[in-house]
Amino acid sequence: MKDKIMKPDMQKLRPELGEVVGILEARAPYGAVSLDSREITRYYVDNSQERVIAGEPTAGTVLRAYDGHTMHEKGLGGFNQEAVTQSARDLVAGVDFSSDGKLDPGKERSGDFQTEMETDPALMPTGQKLDYLRDLNQRVRKIDSQIVNVRVNLVDIREKSVFRNRVADLAQDIQRLNISVLVMVMGEQGVVYDYTSKCGAGGLEMLTFNDEELEELVRNAIKLKDAERIEPGEYTLVTAPGVSGVIAHESFGHGVETDMFLKERAKAAHFVGKRVGSDLVNIIDDPSLPGEFGSYFFDDEGFPAQPTQIVKNGIFTRGLTDLYSSTALEIQRSPNGRRQDFTRKVYPRMTNTFFASGDLAVDDLIGQVDEGIYVSKVSSGMEDPKGWGIQVSGHYAFEIKAGKLTDKMYAPVGITGYVPDVLGSISGVASDFSLSGGYCGKGTKETVPVTDGGPHLLMKARLG
Amino acid sequence: MLEKIKQALQKNPEIKAWIIRQETTRSSQQYDLKDRTEAVREVESELYTIDVLCDAEDADGKLTSGVGTVSILPNGEISSALQKAVLTAQLVHNQPYDFADPSPIPEVELADQIYQNDPEGEIRNVLDSLKKTTSTYPHVRLTAAECFGQETTSRLVSSKGIDAEQVATDIYLQWVYIGGRGDDEVETFAEVSRRRIADLHIEEEAALRAQYTSDLLNAAEPPNYTGPVFVQGSTLAVMLAGESLAGSLLQTLSSAQLKYSGETPWEVGKTIFRGEVKGDDFNAWANRQLPYGVLSSAFDKEGIPAQRVRLVKDNNLASFIADQRFANYLELEPTGAFGNLEIPAGSTPEADLQRGSYVEIAEFSWFNPSPITGDFSCEIRLGYQVIDGERKPFKGGLLVGNLLDAVADVRWSQETGFYGNYLGPRAARFNSLKLAGLGDQEWV
Repeated sequence: MKDKIMKPDMQKLRPELGEVVGILEARAPYGAVSLDSREITRYYVDNSQERVIAGEPTAGTVLRAYDGHTMHEKGLGGFNQEAVTQSARDLVAGVDFSSDGKLDPGKERSGDFQTEMETDPALMPTGQKLDYLRDLNQRVRKIDSQIVNVRVNLVDIREKSVFRNRVADLAQDIQRLNISVLVMVMGEQGVVYDYTSKCGAGGLEMLTFNDEELEELVRNAIKLKDAERIEPGEYTLVTAPGVSGVIAHESFGHGVETDMFLKERAKAAHFVGKRVGSDLVNIIDDPSLPGEFGSYFFDDEGFPAQPTQIVKNGIFTRGLTDLYSSTALEIQRSPNGRRQDFTRKVYPRMTNTFFASGDLAVDDLIGQVDEGIYVSKVSSGMEDPKGWGIQVSGHYAFEIKAGKLTDKMYAPVGITGYVPDVLGSISGVASDFSLSGGYCGKGTKETVPVTDGGPHLLMKARLG
Repeated sequence: MLEKIKQALQKNPEIKAWIIRQETTRSSQQYDLKDRTEAVREVESELYTIDVLCDAEDADGKLTSGVGTVSILPNGEISSALQKAVLTAQLVHNQPYDFADPSPIPEVELADQIYQNDPEGEIRNVLDSLKKTTSTYPHVRLTAAECFGQETTSRLVSSKGIDAEQVATDIYLQWVYIGGRGDDEVETFAEVSRRRIADLHIEEEAALRAQYTSDLLNAAEPPNYTGPVFVQGSTLAVMLAGESLAGSLLQTLSSAQLKYSGETPWEVGKTIFRGEVKGDDFNAWANRQLPYGVLSSAFDKEGIPAQRVRLVKDNNLASFIADQRFANYLELEPTGAFGNLEIPAGSTPEADLQRGSYVEIAEFSWFNPSPITGDFSCEIRLGYQVIDGERKPFKGGLLVGNLLDAVADVRWSQETGFYGNYLGPRAARFNSLKLAGLGDQEWV
């Protein structure tokens, strides 16, 4: 490849990285170098203003010297060869590396990879992107006169990275896009809003909305003016894929990132091989899914992307690892070592995390519910890896009566409960499947792009 | 480098105004796992970010203004980056406006000299201090701790004549306490961000978290409940001032940008509440001058000097928070970025707020109200049922309500506290909130 897919200064430095690894490994049992460039541009149009905001790019080099006990890292802005070589010498000088660490640099591997795209956003002029957003804004505004504002937001993330250790020489160029449309309507108690979004790793071709999708968005925003608060209690509920996904993410996503095992924060650590949900529960994390917002070809430690089955038929099988945690726990690596950018450390992180689909049609799933709630739109979630509590905030939900959705809307709706109880109550899994993208933090920091999702699920939980 | 960028900007006749921000950061990080160090990191970076403002005409021939922003690494290519910024600026069509004129920039205390003198050593000292303090609580185990320090030097130069520099430090500490054994283990997770190491208050925070850990071991399921709810400390600060993941409702609804787009119903001189104020009158400032406030700055990204802006006076909105552009549009004085939230002390001693029966929320899983409506439904990580001084811990359930309605019916404590982005009453008693418990049990 593909010289063009790397930035020129990264391309220039890349041939020297083998020598830099040599400098590191002259003293440390294991050395590695990463070059990492992430450029974010946000295009924004609403009824009264527009913006193109270049997010602070991060572009830098990470030098790692590791002995299986302590990781010594130096992050340097930019890709200056002299500075990188000198920093490699400085990093290992004066450190007494332990000699008994167990380290696996992985299999010999090399390759250059790039996201497949029909329409590369980098090749589309800014004016054309703004025109697309202006048109989308106008299409939505025309739908109803009660709309006070329509925010259209396109986030364009270009990540280019190179990884080098003694057996690996890898490069990847990943294009991620996320478009959202948020409609605001003035109600008696102030503004209410609904939103929709599309995202993925690929070109602009994946970001189109049909009229039906936009009309439904406006209809629900207007309906929110009259939405009621739900009476707290236990309900039979059907979760839409976005809601199912956040349940997967918060229950067997964060709680099985294996740094949590080392920190003794994960209740799941005591449940390997044990039942944590009904037979219908299958949860997978997979960064190798083509075209998804959380996908990549190799993780930030050079481990090739592949699926990891976290829960199989209700049994917890394994967690998500990075190099440090898999080494310390002596378990098989999974491709989940991710860093926010070169200024941050690698942690085991989720990628595309989802419930696997079943075989029921969605209408048949809802048809099983005599009285219940359809939680159709999610707003956020929070993990509780030690207590196995769950907090998923639903933006709104609809009543189900006699197997049919009614017009009665509740908002907002909080889903809570004990994780094994919630997953154990899953009694129906639909055959549909979709993923929603977003950004995931660890605590309040370390943001990385992810998706979650799956099919519609039938379960019991407390709502409030 | 800065001088070269400045010269290139000055030569370009298509540019109406420009701002250059040079940011240099140095960071020290240490990650401990139980009794060993998992990782140590040092990070250095330098970046130049340039905003260019250009006038253009839109499709209807009307005069418009637009901004293009680019960033350049040291020794990066200047000419092509500026071309890209100008092209972008000319494609973005907004009502005309201009960048900020120079104004006197106040001294604001932003940097911790103790950290600056020995970053790596001080980060190690913070973690050692946490370990030492923890050893006095034998019922908890410190299983992980992370500490970062960062020094950021920001210089801002603009075509309008602003040339200013500020140095700020940020200290972040996170740790995990585990209590109990085997199936009965519980955890408490703590995160504290401040400008100074001294403001981490490690001993006090560790004592509080150790107590929470102990109480979680004995926590029951919560009942359903409607009535007074007492909140204090950093949990109250997050409810009112937000945190990095969930912003503050007050900040959102007082934004001039949202006023301009018709998204906030608030109006200057009118109540911010949706109904009658039944509790203490509400007053607030948006304060970017707060010494060592994590959102303080001598100047913001546009070069607008730090201010202490009266936000709410006796329940009525006093000012919108406006950047230069929306100040121009709405004919307001620009305030610059919001900064920290300051609320005056209340009139009730904290002890009086804790009389009788009530529920106390010690920690939420995540307090994340809707940033537009203020509606919330948030899981409780640890709470207490309090009956005449006797405290019974509980875990789980949801606190349900609306933040504006809650603040309209509250009593604030006389005692105040500083929690990074919040200076104000240390405690509050919300007179009527709803707790959705985990069963059918009611607490009347």
